[in-house]
Amino acid sequence: MLDQAFEALKTYKWGVDPKAIKAIQDTIVATHGDAAARKDLESKLAAVLATDAPRAAKDSVCRFLKTIGTAHSVEALAKLLHDEELSHMARHALQTNDAPEAVKALVGAMGKAPKKIKIGIISSLGARGTGVPIAPLAKALADKDAEISTAGALALGAIGSEEAVKALAAAKATDANKIAVCDAMFQCAENMLNHGKKSEAKAIYSTVLKIGPTKAAKMAADIGVKACA
Amino acid sequence: MKTTRRKFLSSSGAATAAVGFPSIIPSSALGNADKPAPSNRIVMGGIGIGSMGRGDQGAFLGKNDVQYVAVCDARKGAMNQAKAKTDAKYGNKDCKTYADYRDILSRDDIDAVHIATPDHWHAQMIIDSCRHGKDVFCQKPESLTLGEGSLMVETAKRYGRVVSGGSQRVLQDYKGTVLRCWNGSYGKINSINVNVGPMSQPCNLTPENQPDDIDWEMWLGPAPWAPYNSKRCSGSYSTSGNSWRSYIDYSGGGMTDWGAHHFGGATFAVDVRELQPNKVILDEKDGKKFVSLKYSNGIEITHNKPGVGQMHVGRDNVQREGKEVPKYAGNSGISGDFIDCVKTRNKPFRHIDYAINSMAVPHLATIAYRLNRSLEWDSAKQQFVNDVEADRLRNRARREPWQI
Repeated sequence: MLDQAFEALKTYKWGVDPKAIKAIQDTIVATHGDAAARKDLESKLAAVLATDAPRAAKDSVCRFLKTIGTAHSVEALAKLLHDEELSHMARHALQTNDAPEAVKALVGAMGKAPKKIKIGIISSLGARGTGVPIAPLAKALADKDAEISTAGALALGAIGSEEAVKALAAAKATDANKIAVCDAMFQCAENMLNHGKKSEAKAIYSTVLKIGPTKAAKMAADIGVKACA
Repeated sequence: MKTTRRKFLSSSGAATAAVGFPSIIPSSALGNADKPAPSNRIVMGGIGIGSMGRGDQGAFLGKNDVQYVAVCDARKGAMNQAKAKTDAKYGNKDCKTYADYRDILSRDDIDAVHIATPDHWHAQMIIDSCRHGKDVFCQKPESLTLGEGSLMVETAKRYGRVVSGGSQRVLQDYKGTVLRCWNGSYGKINSINVNVGPMSQPCNLTPENQPDDIDWEMWLGPAPWAPYNSKRCSGSYSTSGNSWRSYIDYSGGGMTDWGAHHFGGATFAVDVRELQPNKVILDEKDGKKFVSLKYSNGIEITHNKPGVGQMHVGRDNVQREGKEVPKYAGNSGISGDFIDCVKTRNKPFRHIDYAINSMAVPHLATIAYRLNRSLEWDSAKQQFVNDVEADRLRNRARREPWQI
């Protein structure tokens, strides 16, 4: 069944019944805890990404690798990050891949990525939350393009570390990115509060109030200040 | 320049006067006990205005204390119908239409929005709405994934917004069960069973010609790209392949669609609305798999337990003191509850915290079924205990450029 499913994957176009490749998902579930079987499966899936299999096939492979991907499949996925059609699904697999190599691949792809793809990569780095270098996100935050800057801010907020706070505090908030910058700072402040760091959180809220927040952000800052009392 | 709510409304009035209406100010403009003056009404817009959105729009349009001013939909036909309905109600042409919901959120004069898009948009829109200072009424199921639930709750709290889920059935469909649970006549409660399904499935439908009516990129939004197919985006209530409700990228299937009602009703009846389960036990009986979700207070919600009826309450014959059953604020159902809470800033009946806690039940059960194993869930950390693969299924990457 599994061999047939991999055979079907070679020509798996839009319109083919998903049952044709269901055995792969079934095998993923059945091999939980079997490292050797998983490694073999991961290798076979990663190999499909290097072929001329249809988009729907590679899309499905990325979905499978989301569950079982390790450092072993990062290289194959990383090659798709600049592919306009497959970048999102490659991120789908890499975003939750615990291997440090996945972070390196995402960061490495940021530099030369077209704008829209870069925003996606920034978003995935933020969604990881931990183990992500701050410098590339701070650079994105400082980008002249408002959408890239906004993405950088939100990613830093999702990470919420002290280093992220420093990057956000150093940023120049503009009308175009202000909502994101304020929200990111709130997320950092909440992270501080959750760790009992009330004075640090209060300082963040004070910083937000100084940058001329929107009405909504002003209200949020006021709520935050009260939570620090 | 952005207009303030008061300026927007007064400028509309000025325009009316300029085209020759009498200078006598009508009582409707001044307001009275039944119909507040426009400046004291809640100004609303609707996002996702097709099937369920149409019903929600009707409910809000029917309220004297709501001024409905804008509609947004990826489908032009639905959007124009909604505008026509609004304009007919007010006898003018003032309702604005938007292809992009962010244009509604950027309007300073709008206080609140109602959202009835497919589920894959809910988190994005609720969070963006809160960041723009809007209160939100969002159709159920409020979340598509476990991970986005806590982000919605945190953002609503951060901005002090009133965010209500939209399951009217939670209070209305299970009244007898709820009453007996809450008034103590059932004694000590141990469990409640919900029968619902199916789970959503992968979608690989054949590409079809895309009609001019739909903005396909906006319909897909943060979901993975896929070619247009009418079944992929149909708003039909079917969960067997003929609608977006059938497919993983947009819905949890019947498990979360009807499940939002049933699990919402169950968590309400046994009063675990402020909790999430901490154990998800996958079991089998008579060849049928089922899930038991256990709470720290000893309550258990079972899903599809063989031989057990819908909303069956397991109980001991131990006396228990009754308590008053919560009800809607206001007097016009769940939409009236929301509007009342927008004014009072109280928690609505299906407060987003409660909605997300109840949605956690089908999301957790789904992950257990998909991985074919029992799970432990740390609700404080919002992660599974020692299960990396299950953790990976909490979230999905958003298609660029969408980000929350």
